[in-house]
Amino acid sequence: MSFASSSRSAFRAIANACPSCSRSALPSMRSQAVPAARAGPSKSSRHFASTTPRKATAAAGPVESEMQRAARRSMELSRERMYAERAQRSRTIMMYSAGSLFLALGVTYAAVPAYRAFCSATGFSGVPITDPARFSPDRLYTNEEAQGRKRITVHFEATASDTLPWTFSPQQRSVRVLPGETALAFYTAKNLGKEDLIGIATYNMTPEKIAPYFAKVECFCFEEQKIRAGEEVDLPVFFFIDRDIMDEPQMDCIDDVVLSYTFFRARRNDKGHAVPDASDEVVLRSQGFENYEHAKPIAASA
Amino acid sequence: MSFGRPGTFDNWKVSPPARGSFPLDHDGECKTFMISYLKCLKANAADNGVCRPESRKYLECRMDHGLMTRDDMANLGLGDVGTQHTASAPINPPDAATSTTRI
Repeated sequence: MSFASSSRSAFRAIANACPSCSRSALPSMRSQAVPAARAGPSKSSRHFASTTPRKATAAAGPVESEMQRAARRSMELSRERMYAERAQRSRTIMMYSAGSLFLALGVTYAAVPAYRAFCSATGFSGVPITDPARFSPDRLYTNEEAQGRKRITVHFEATASDTLPWTFSPQQRSVRVLPGETALAFYTAKNLGKEDLIGIATYNMTPEKIAPYFAKVECFCFEEQKIRAGEEVDLPVFFFIDRDIMDEPQMDCIDDVVLSYTFFRARRNDKGHAVPDASDEVVLRSQGFENYEHAKPIAASA
Repeated sequence: MSFGRPGTFDNWKVSPPARGSFPLDHDGECKTFMISYLKCLKANAADNGVCRPESRKYLECRMDHGLMTRDDMANLGLGDVGTQHTASAPINPPDAATSTTRI
């Protein structure tokens, strides 16, 4: 505040010493000096007045007095300080907004894999939990509660792709299991072609809500299976339904589950992984996903 | 839920079923055990509980012929099942405290 009052007195000195300063300019300078510590002059006083010091003060007298020079310097300094303060504030605001913009952009990019990770970890909306602990030996048995339940009938279905000349069918129509009880099921596949063919199976489970609880100990999916020409093989599936299904009230009414397999010819993608040799639509249709909207499979994971 | 979906965070190639894939039984070494299991299912209205001895025998055959990594039956959920049919139907899980077969 002290420097403001000193600039005020400096203004008065200049005004008195400078006849060519128009009186209209004075209020602007005064109002400029007084709230120097505050935001700045009000708009109304700034319409016609410029903020730069008028050259008239120098032109008034041939030599500027020491006091006038000091006054003008202090005025300039205060103005500089005000501008610097304002600039600093604007820069801060700009940094914060740019930062939050990039943060929001980053979150949008991270959201997709983060959601998938969340789904795999928690089994939300039907993605099976692939935690190795769910296969610990004590999970493979029923408990008292599970034994009281009605047996769940697991039906089996099998399809072979048109490009694969195999007959592929289940050996039993269904198996009735209790939650926690391990069960064996068999499929049979016969290669009717003239050469050894490699097939890879995709599978699907209905109803979808059983998916997190349906655990396979060992099966014939995930890896390519080579069947020699004219050969017939038995393909076993060793599975169980997790007994935690008893804790889930919405699973109480599930009495039937359908497990369906589709065999496709296998080919290697550019990562060297065996993948079904059929178009994406056909593969997804075999799994009942034709009505779902989803992104195209990424080459590495298809 | 199914294999072959659009890529998820957990790549199915990386985490297949616990023991992976059964090697193919090209020579039909365990076919007789499979047939006895299927006959049992047919006779008992597809009741898995009654036919567990047969599935145990089938898996033991696979292990004997090198078609499955050898493992303790208790780790496969068949520790409480003998190879013969028992007269009583209820299957009681081995008590965690008293079991001696598991690690």
